[in-house]
Amino acid sequence: MERRDFIKLTAISSASATLASCGNPEHQLIRFVPDEDLAPGIAEFKPSVCPACAAGCAVNVRVMQADVDTVRNGQSGVVTMSVAKKLEGQPKDPISQGGLCARGQASIQITYHPDRVTQPLKRKGNRGSGDFTPVSWDEAIGELVGKLDTIAAAGDQKSIAFVTRPRRSRRAALIAEFASKLGAPAPIVFDPMGDEVVRRANAISFGHEQLATIDLARSRFVISFGADLLGTWNSPVAQSAGYGAMRQGHPQQRGKLAVVESRMSITGANADEWVPVKPGTEGVLALGLAHVIVANKLRPSSSGRAAAAIEGWSGGLADYAPARVEQITGVAAKRIERLARELVDFRPAVAVAGGPAVAHSNGLFHALAVNALNDLLGAVEQPGGVFFTPGGQSPVANAQSLQSLSAAKLVVIDEANPVYGAPVALKVRETFEKAPFIVSFGSFVDDTSAYADLILPDHTFLESWVDTTPESGSIETVTTVAGPVMKPLHQTRATADVLIEVAGRLKSPIALPWKTAEELAKSPAPGPQPPQAARPPEGTAGRYSEPQFAGDAAQFPFHFLPFKTPQFGDGSTAHLPWLQEMPDPLTSAMWSSWVEINPATAERLQIAQGDLVDITSPHGTLRAPAMIFPAIAPDVIAMPVGQGHVTFTQYASGRGVNPMAILAPATEAATGALAWAATRVKIARAAAADRSLIMFAGEMREHPHEGEIR
Amino acid sequence: MAHRWGMAVDLDKCTGCGACVTACHAENNIPIVGPAEAARGRAMHWLRVERYFEGEFPDVRVKFRPVMCQHCDAAPCEPVCPTYASHHTDEGLNAQVYNRCIGTRYCANACPYNVRFFDFFNPQWPKPLHLQLNPDVSVREVGVMEKCTFCVQRINAAEIAAKAEKRELKDGDVQTACAQACAARAIVFGDLNDPESEVARLSRSPRAGHLLEDLGTLPKVAYLERQTQV
Repeated sequence: MERRDFIKLTAISSASATLASCGNPEHQLIRFVPDEDLAPGIAEFKPSVCPACAAGCAVNVRVMQADVDTVRNGQSGVVTMSVAKKLEGQPKDPISQGGLCARGQASIQITYHPDRVTQPLKRKGNRGSGDFTPVSWDEAIGELVGKLDTIAAAGDQKSIAFVTRPRRSRRAALIAEFASKLGAPAPIVFDPMGDEVVRRANAISFGHEQLATIDLARSRFVISFGADLLGTWNSPVAQSAGYGAMRQGHPQQRGKLAVVESRMSITGANADEWVPVKPGTEGVLALGLAHVIVANKLRPSSSGRAAAAIEGWSGGLADYAPARVEQITGVAAKRIERLARELVDFRPAVAVAGGPAVAHSNGLFHALAVNALNDLLGAVEQPGGVFFTPGGQSPVANAQSLQSLSAAKLVVIDEANPVYGAPVALKVRETFEKAPFIVSFGSFVDDTSAYADLILPDHTFLESWVDTTPESGSIETVTTVAGPVMKPLHQTRATADVLIEVAGRLKSPIALPWKTAEELAKSPAPGPQPPQAARPPEGTAGRYSEPQFAGDAAQFPFHFLPFKTPQFGDGSTAHLPWLQEMPDPLTSAMWSSWVEINPATAERLQIAQGDLVDITSPHGTLRAPAMIFPAIAPDVIAMPVGQGHVTFTQYASGRGVNPMAILAPATEAATGALAWAATRVKIARAAAADRSLIMFAGEMREHPHEGEIR
Repeated sequence: MAHRWGMAVDLDKCTGCGACVTACHAENNIPIVGPAEAARGRAMHWLRVERYFEGEFPDVRVKFRPVMCQHCDAAPCEPVCPTYASHHTDEGLNAQVYNRCIGTRYCANACPYNVRFFDFFNPQWPKPLHLQLNPDVSVREVGVMEKCTFCVQRINAAEIAAKAEKRELKDGDVQTACAQACAARAIVFGDLNDPESEVARLSRSPRAGHLLEDLGTLPKVAYLERQTQV
């Protein structure tokens, strides 16, 4: 007798024994026959790709046997199957190099989340109520096909809108292909705090519209203008690995890190030299450094594209003499002189721009200035400098195109959460309330899919074919493709398979080049693009113009700075309990929103730690507890992004506030990207401290709230 | 020769990102306690990243320090335990036997590093979150004290594997979850009795010191101080 047959027999006999012994059907334990060979207690490792951000780290998944509650053919019972236990970095992956960040570690909780959407849902209650009724896959797909057929019959395909989040995988190709064959506009890639300004600058300066890979490991001096290299920007695991090597990887040579920003990020916290500047003037400092280098002939002046994009470069950057730069940026002229000399002395040196530095009305200027500085330092495509990964896939996001949604008759949402991430002033919520039909592939009822008429839940990454070709993080092109690590826990389906099925069931079927999700993941990514021809900078991006801020400076005296945290990123991992309870690296706050205020400012306004303060912009008011934070400029108020979801599972719903909500819909002048650091606010103490600010530090007492009545 | 497990943390590499904190939760079945209990100081993090601000704006500097059980050779938590739940193993680990622990919490009072955590409640994992639990690590129930074990389950697994293959353990065979997750490679784990091991080499560094070492606790976690370059 085969082993499998033996197991089947014993399973059947034990099941019938159980059936016979229990009168009450609720107490029946149906044990299904496992359909995979398992060895109890022995761990296996299978590859996959981390879904937490676009960096595309390859992971090793530890898989072991477990008993899983499941439904088979309408009958609930228990099946023994192999399940994921832990995610670890894949040592052979040039991106993760064996490491994995907090969000990556916690991603396993996406699969096991108690509030996952377990089967297709159809809206029952009002839009946004989250009141859904389960439907079968056949019915759900039939409904979507019907809607598409109706729109096609009316010749109205232009009114179908796809909204996705940025990813570097074949799934983006599938959705783009599906939309194009349907006759619908190209998918809207929603990434409100994305990097399109930096990509545009790289296209102008170097002919590559993508983020650069920074060769930190071989650099001796890294100067970051706002880019949170070690925390949340671009490819933090790869960059942290490079940072470790830069610091202590070479005997007798320790690389130096300087960070230019107005509120200390994790990267700033690790800097040897933290250089606070006035918001919106970062590029002026970069050109001030270039001026010193050129004026003192410390390096041969460059004449490439990057330099040509800057007005006044050939004239020796006369407008950017240290004394003038000091006036604009607030950084002392002496310090600019010294930093410029160090950049040359400590070559290979490299400059990086990102984050709030480019999220101003004049953002493109700052990125172009940093590119020109890199060119001058000889840091382009040189060891210890910046590289452009051949074939790296870079999605182009544009928050403004969300406005085209108001005319859409059918909106298809793939993992994007614009109702949460877009400023309230863009009225995305109102658009979704009015949209005739909304379909979501979400695994969770989040702020956006709460408005959906139909939810067709996707498998999670551990249950499906995954692939990625990251935009940067490694000098060489990296493509990772991996199969499912475990069988699906719920009645979900891979979105790729659903789209392929929908394509075939239409009245006029669409021919897609792939037959299954597996075939899609294994299909080759487009090869490397040759560098584009030089692109002239649009408008006046090559010249410094004063940053424009929304809100009158007299009425709204503070700059408002939303920032990503290593636990929540853009807010898409706020539903994971480990990350909610992980102390924030710089403040140790857990389960909370908070408002960072400089100690002198707080004293002047008589605000104490934990007091509730009202933050008011021209577009709304938020109330959150104050965090007295020593590493922020006195005229800047900062708030973490991630909390403040209306609907996002039991762990994140209704918790804290969302700083993106009160942003002005200001844009970067040249690219139209959301200028998320260009809003001004006022603050006022609203109430005494309640217990909404929860911190790990200083709370480790035996009786922290003794005497209080709970 | 017996192993003597130890750790070295290079504070010049540590970025404070917190990957180790989450990796520790994932490996060791550490429950979350929720916002209400976290506000009462009952959040459990066997490993935490301490951060210290120095100076005032604009001359602010930050120091990060991941702190876990220091596995002291003269551990203050051990002699105070009435049930020998907190004890020293042959390989130098400061171990906790959950089944012996009666929850006096004397050990937590005695520990100068604040790294011991008491289970005030039975842990809860709403289904199917329980499927993530690591079968190699016991789940602690209400009334016992828990703390960093240096991932003893990984040490045991590596020792068993080496024995089965009739070979000696080599440096790098055992990696704790925190060391494995660390992208910057700031945390290194290994055998201090092997003078060639990376952890032993780092522990001999002129930058290396121990946390509160003047208390005489003889900790086995070496911290390599952050360098300054201005």
